[in-house]
Amino acid sequence: MAHIHLEDGSFSLFWVIVWWTAAIILVGISLYLLRSEKKTDSRKITIAAFCTAAAFAIFQVSIPVFGGVHITLTPLIGILAGPVIGSLVVLIINILSAAIGHGGWGMIGANTLVNIVEVAVAYATWRLLKPFIPDLFSRAGIATVAGLLSGNIAMILIIVISGVQGVNQGTAQILTGLSLLAAVNMGVAVIEAFVTGLIVTYIGKVRPDLLLGERP
Amino acid sequence: MTALPGKKGLLIFLLLLALVIIVSLAAYRMTGQMGIEGRFSHAVGLESGEEAGEEGGGWFGLSLEGNPVFYGIVLGALAVLCYASYRHFSVCNDPPGSAKKGSDT
Repeated sequence: MAHIHLEDGSFSLFWVIVWWTAAIILVGISLYLLRSEKKTDSRKITIAAFCTAAAFAIFQVSIPVFGGVHITLTPLIGILAGPVIGSLVVLIINILSAAIGHGGWGMIGANTLVNIVEVAVAYATWRLLKPFIPDLFSRAGIATVAGLLSGNIAMILIIVISGVQGVNQGTAQILTGLSLLAAVNMGVAVIEAFVTGLIVTYIGKVRPDLLLGERP
Repeated sequence: MTALPGKKGLLIFLLLLALVIIVSLAAYRMTGQMGIEGRFSHAVGLESGEEAGEEGGGWFGLSLEGNPVFYGIVLGALAVLCYASYRHFSVCNDPPGSAKKGSDT
């Protein structure tokens, strides 16, 4: 998963405001799109609630792989809820996480952006691969890896663009360090891909109408 | 556009995972054993007291981030919200493929 594990004060106030503003704009667009729908499928609201609870619960658990990594379930959110509702879900998860002391308040904007990228790319991959890979497990797994890889790239870009206050390393050194970190982070993508694949396959068997684009 | 036969999709998925595992293991060998916070601080060049990693704490190496009491409270509230949504929108009574019966928002 991709999550900026830096404390408040690591980014300058300017960049905190920039990332918060960008996140608010994206979430605002999502809200506008939701409000412009004549009828919102009630199942989407329920799925969003389940996704929020499940992702929040698992997001706080550090899994003892490669010294400790997190699962976020953001690709699953993208597959089940789509990018519009998914962007609201990840904002809520980041706010709740900060409220219990996981991540700084100033980082919520940047982390929400990173998670929105994961949700959107996973959703897009899931939909685009449908004509080629009908198998739900494989398609969900590939979408998960694509989403998490994109999230890690977004995380690196945000940190490199912002810079980190109080460090003497140059951009090239930070980029190298973050690239290695992202590569280690991707180790959990293997676990998350299997988890997401199994959940999507199960839902596809018992309630295919709950899967976006798979509804009969 | 032709769909790949079922096994080919799985094969692509497994090859992708194998590639990810190889890259991750290589990066892990280069960076060494660290916890999440320590790995992050090390990557950007921040001083960190947490270099030893997070393994060893919690249950079977699994540990919680943040305050466990607040975690329980928030998770409990979310569980109640899920149950309320589930009942309110009648998702449980919605047979597969049928039109929704619950109220719309």
